[in-house]
Amino acid sequence: MEFTLLFLAVAVVLLAAWYGTRTLALALFAATLIACVVTYLHHASAVLNLSF
Amino acid sequence: MAPALAVTLNALGLYAIALVLIVAFGAQLILHELPCPLCLLQRIQFALLAVGPVLNVRFGPRPSHYALSLLVATAGAAFAMRQILLHIMPGDPGYGSALLGYHYYSWAFIGFAVAILALAAMLLFDGQFAAGTPLPQIGAFAHAAVWLVIALTALNVVATLLECGFAACPDDPKHYELLRFGQ
Repeated sequence: MEFTLLFLAVAVVLLAAWYGTRTLALALFAATLIACVVTYLHHASAVLNLSF
Repeated sequence: MAPALAVTLNALGLYAIALVLIVAFGAQLILHELPCPLCLLQRIQFALLAVGPVLNVRFGPRPSHYALSLLVATAGAAFAMRQILLHIMPGDPGYGSALLGYHYYSWAFIGFAVAILALAAMLLFDGQFAAGTPLPQIGAFAHAAVWLVIALTALNVVATLLECGFAACPDDPKHYELLRFGQ
């Protein structure tokens, strides 16, 4: 579900960049990029079953 | 470099991003290989990479717009590198099938690295940022590029919703969660 929301957020950012103000697009962009990094860190913190 | 040429090159960049999204989507539909969470995250970064070029087309080229794309490309490369390292052990078959000898996450890393180099190359040309230069007209070529990327991103919203449903996406997805009626 989180990835669907992230794709939706990117679509909204693109529409804001094309139709909205520059400030709005930049703010939405920052929020989306931070959400992506947080999602990555959440998944990266999972236990890995590797046999080193 | 004149602003008009920079805008045209940004539009070309949008077509390149669209091509990446189309190839990823094609592999998903034709090979029936569902993207894993990290794969989806990399695909999201490719779509987010388009924000900088869209702003350049709409408001004219600015260094800050290129900086946005550089931030996204760096994050995307880090995500792809993480997945490469997950499958680095000898004997590990990797996730999904290989395309021309490389898995999709390896291609994603190469794609983000190329984007970083292309963005750095674009930033070398100060002429596009000259103050007082009138904004170039947005032609059909750039319009189509922007809408192609927006449409592909919207298509990915639907595909990801079908794949993951309303719960967390499985690590190794085998079927579309919302298309499992009667199974």
